[in-house]
Amino acid sequence: MLKTRIIPVLTFNGISLVKTKQFNSPRIVGNPIQAARVYNNRDVDEIIFLDIKAKEQKRKLNLPMVKKIIDECFMPISIGGGVETFEDINNFLRIGADKVIIKSKAIEDPIFVSKAVDYFGSQCISISVDVIQVNGKYFIFNKKNNIPLETFIQEMNNCKVGEYAVNSVNRDGMMQGYDLDLYKTVNQLTTIPVIAIGGAGTPEHFVKLCQSGFKGALAAASIFHFTQHTPQEIKRTLDFVKIPVRI
Amino acid sequence: MIAIIDYGMGNLASVEKALTFLNIDSIITNDEKMINKASHIILPGVGSFEQGMTNLKELNLIEILNREVIKNKKPFIGICLGMQLIMENGSEPKLCKGLGWIKGDVKLIENNKLPVPHLGWNRVYKKEFEFEEDKLNDNYYFIHSYHVIPKENVIETYVDYEFPMVASIRRGNIFATQFHPEKSQKAGLKLLENYFKSYA
Repeated sequence: MLKTRIIPVLTFNGISLVKTKQFNSPRIVGNPIQAARVYNNRDVDEIIFLDIKAKEQKRKLNLPMVKKIIDECFMPISIGGGVETFEDINNFLRIGADKVIIKSKAIEDPIFVSKAVDYFGSQCISISVDVIQVNGKYFIFNKKNNIPLETFIQEMNNCKVGEYAVNSVNRDGMMQGYDLDLYKTVNQLTTIPVIAIGGAGTPEHFVKLCQSGFKGALAAASIFHFTQHTPQEIKRTLDFVKIPVRI
Repeated sequence: MIAIIDYGMGNLASVEKALTFLNIDSIITNDEKMINKASHIILPGVGSFEQGMTNLKELNLIEILNREVIKNKKPFIGICLGMQLIMENGSEPKLCKGLGWIKGDVKLIENNKLPVPHLGWNRVYKKEFEFEEDKLNDNYYFIHSYHVIPKENVIETYVDYEFPMVASIRRGNIFATQFHPEKSQKAGLKLLENYFKSYA
């Protein structure tokens, strides 16, 4: 049986690891290479590394540094941040990324995504879907918050992307639990693998999302930065309630 | 020296990194002399079957691989797409011929209940209908939308994805895995280490 993946997320500002709250007020939480080493030693299922400032600061990902992170990892690693061109994707793959995460460019230019899938294969093209809840409805987080989640997911489904990393902006860094309704909605919109991100603060939050019927992987950052809980401990908690995990 | 075949299909650096970690010499190459000299050949790769065959053809690798692996019986590991390409026929994105070393086809995973691609960690089994879960450390990382259906007796392990899907095959000097040992943490590194130890 396929195991439920538990994935630490490392968000980077160009200099150090940071953790945001509701996509604001980044707090410095350490060194990315050290963190990757620790996660590799802890035998985690997978890692996501995102440069969350690349686009805003109009710069490219620091490839030599990301390569150092990848070199620490003997598990799959997804890399995102400022992807604009095929060359960017190629650069990430060449230094050993397994999946390339595209965000802003996917909103601006779905045809780019479609072409990237044809060229590189769907298995290595992941889409970061940042979702904000406005008046009880889900929208893609951008300056206008005017693209309904459903519209965007359907568009990306048509592009045959390989995976969605769905972040709840409202829950980001709050450590109050995942948005169960959001992931229920996403599961209804697609059959492509989904990673849930945003809100986990205790091992019970992971259990709750799994028991809500969610099909996909569970990712988190704050819980690993700010508490004693480790991915392994979360998996033991899930195993205890008979949710299949790799221990 | 182990030749990791460079044919423009995906993550070769991870295979090299895993071998380096195990203190095994390797080189990423598509040069005939290097492949001839190598003690083993690894064909990794992710992406589409047809593109994979096109690239092998354009780099004149088909003839070299046929000679080294089939005629000279050089030990060979195929990983993911590298496993699929050694079959007779692929279907991604349309029907096309593979290397044809193993009789059988590569087909899209048809599964109404579970997502395709089959992505993540899954346990491999020795027998087709042995599905009971245990705590053995034999979970490996998979990422694929197509699977191999051999027409000869070569299946070594299966993986359960609502049906028993082929996880690895072995015949003489040919060994191939649908999963990625180089991405499968300690379990994958152990598998590679044991494989190369058996040739030491």
